[in-house]
Amino acid sequence: MNRRTFLKRGLAGGAVLLLGGGGLALIPTKEQGAPTRALAVLGARSFQVLVAIAKRVAPPSADAVKISEGVDSLLRRAPVEVQRDFNKLLGLFENALPGLLFDGRVLPFTRLSPESQDAVLAHWRDSRLTIRRTGYHALRRICLAVAYADESLWPAVGYSPPPVGAFTPMAYDDSKMGVSS
Amino acid sequence: MTKLAVVRENPHVIDGSASGDLDLKCDVCVVGTGAGGAVTASVLAEAGLDVVMIEEGGYWSAADFTMREKDTTPRLYQEGGTRATKDLAMTILQGRAVGGGTVVNWTTCFRTPEDVVQTWHDEHDVKGFAYADLVPHYEAIEKRLVVAKVDESTLNQNNRKLFDGCKKMGWAADTLRRNVYACMQTGFCGLGCPVNAKRSMLVTLIPDAIDAGARLVFHARADRFVTLGNAVTKLEGSLLDSEGIAPTRKKFTVTAKRFVTSGGAINSPALLLRSGIADDGRVGARTFLHPVIGSAAIYDEDIIPYRGAPQSAASHHFAHRGGDVGFFLEAVPWYPSLTAGAAPTFGAEHLAFMKRVDKTATHIAIAIDGFHDDVPGGRVTLRESGAPLVDYPIPQRLWDAFRFAQKRLAEAQFAGGAKEVATLHDPPSRMKSPADIDRVIDAASYDVGRVPVFTAHQMGGCAMGDDASRSVVRSEDLRHHRLENLYVIDGSVFPTSLGVNPQESIYGLSRLMATRLAARR
Repeated sequence: MNRRTFLKRGLAGGAVLLLGGGGLALIPTKEQGAPTRALAVLGARSFQVLVAIAKRVAPPSADAVKISEGVDSLLRRAPVEVQRDFNKLLGLFENALPGLLFDGRVLPFTRLSPESQDAVLAHWRDSRLTIRRTGYHALRRICLAVAYADESLWPAVGYSPPPVGAFTPMAYDDSKMGVSS
Repeated sequence: MTKLAVVRENPHVIDGSASGDLDLKCDVCVVGTGAGGAVTASVLAEAGLDVVMIEEGGYWSAADFTMREKDTTPRLYQEGGTRATKDLAMTILQGRAVGGGTVVNWTTCFRTPEDVVQTWHDEHDVKGFAYADLVPHYEAIEKRLVVAKVDESTLNQNNRKLFDGCKKMGWAADTLRRNVYACMQTGFCGLGCPVNAKRSMLVTLIPDAIDAGARLVFHARADRFVTLGNAVTKLEGSLLDSEGIAPTRKKFTVTAKRFVTSGGAINSPALLLRSGIADDGRVGARTFLHPVIGSAAIYDEDIIPYRGAPQSAASHHFAHRGGDVGFFLEAVPWYPSLTAGAAPTFGAEHLAFMKRVDKTATHIAIAIDGFHDDVPGGRVTLRESGAPLVDYPIPQRLWDAFRFAQKRLAEAQFAGGAKEVATLHDPPSRMKSPADIDRVIDAASYDVGRVPVFTAHQMGGCAMGDDASRSVVRSEDLRHHRLENLYVIDGSVFPTSLGVNPQESIYGLSRLMATRLAARR
């Protein structure tokens, strides 16, 4: 988006906001897949948005619900402020109003076609606004890191680590190592 | 000598997740069990002092190190591996376990470069020791950890490509020294050594300390020091559940004659700040991260970048660049989750990148921060919850250094036979031959969120020095300038970064200072 388009959309968005376009923010999120367990960090809506993102970001063979549950589980280890910001980021990503301002879309992310969803991801990635770029990476990275932690994706990329338990740990008895301590 | 199974069942080792409230008394309380804390605790315990070690992370061992990131990364890294700088420009890889970062590092050992120690002396009022004072402690640690130089014939392909590429460019390059014994080349140092070949603190000095009578409480988070006048009277903390995540509502206190914080360069300043010890903004200031950028190269032959010692060669050819920020070059392993997060783009393009794993070697440039006035490092502050927050605005000169370093990485990779080189920009900047390098890299954007930056080396934040207006602890003994029984013994005392992987620098300095502390009992 060049500077002129950016400004034009900003003005258009401002007009929509004045005319009560805040209603755009109220278009409900489209259900993507139900979690199979209670969520620790993500709100119900955040979870649905994340599933929609995971579907576009991770390989088609990956289970987007499982990835999103993995993200929820991992984020338990982050400070509460990070957990809160992550939920906010997902809300912003979904929201049609900023979507109209910046990406020229009138539907929430979860209601877009796969092609349009990819375009939104690319808009965030290529944005002039630092927070949109880093937000995109935060969402993308955590989905992909969790996705590829699962061995189901490994054969497709040719990754073949030794099986669990392939090695027997040495007893670290220093006398056997010829080391005087 | 103690075996780990025995250590875990030792009555001196307390799992905080299964414990009621604890009220402990000792001579010296050491917070943190990584490179600084384990050395300190073992030296003091062997000198006959009654030592209590406090560790927030879990006590995991080889049987838990499954070579699977799913099982290990969340448990062994701070914030489950998700820690990042405030603007999210930089991912922070930092250990969190009994043994700290030494459990997950890639075993690279360097003594602190002599010129760095001299810079501290000349420019940062570090007069309390000289390089010569550190040498016997490096020697002792090298012996205990069986530090040895890698034979060139054992380099894996990932490291071989870097080594050969640098040599062909006419640059200095060498094999590394590693703290391993009977290494089986599994390649999984970063996820905890599955065979106990890595001589981390987990299998060396922590058992030594416990053998000598030290106690260890793990799953125990140090919340704050309580101070009265010019002394710390006790440490207060919370016990955590068996995954080290949520407080169990049980508390612990440690009353001691002396307190040592060895939480590392982010958690030590955070603990001091939570204790109300800010020293007019000096605590948390000048945090150095050795910021890293990567370059992925595709070769005709197999690389298999997850087999063999992950780090065994390096080039310090560009470490000293005068007025420009220096850097050094090393290799990094390919673990699927780590790589997937670092690899550019999403969807089909990302999958295509991942599918070339067998032929891909990834090399990194590690920037040496803290030696130029306009590269002042970052700052550790507290979030509302009390958790640390690292603010590290990347200055323009560092981005300039990254652009320069990216070109050198590509040159070395092509010289080593690469058929294609890609940056980790999103989307990546791709080069097919050395002729493309200047054009492609000059056109790439170096800015927050354009190219991923990483850190695996955290230093500074509680600088040592003899000018109390510029530092947090004295350089002769790492004692706080005002609080008479509080010491900081870890990588946070470094007044600059190091220009080398930090573990041995922390071991050596900690051993010197713990020895001095033991002598003053």
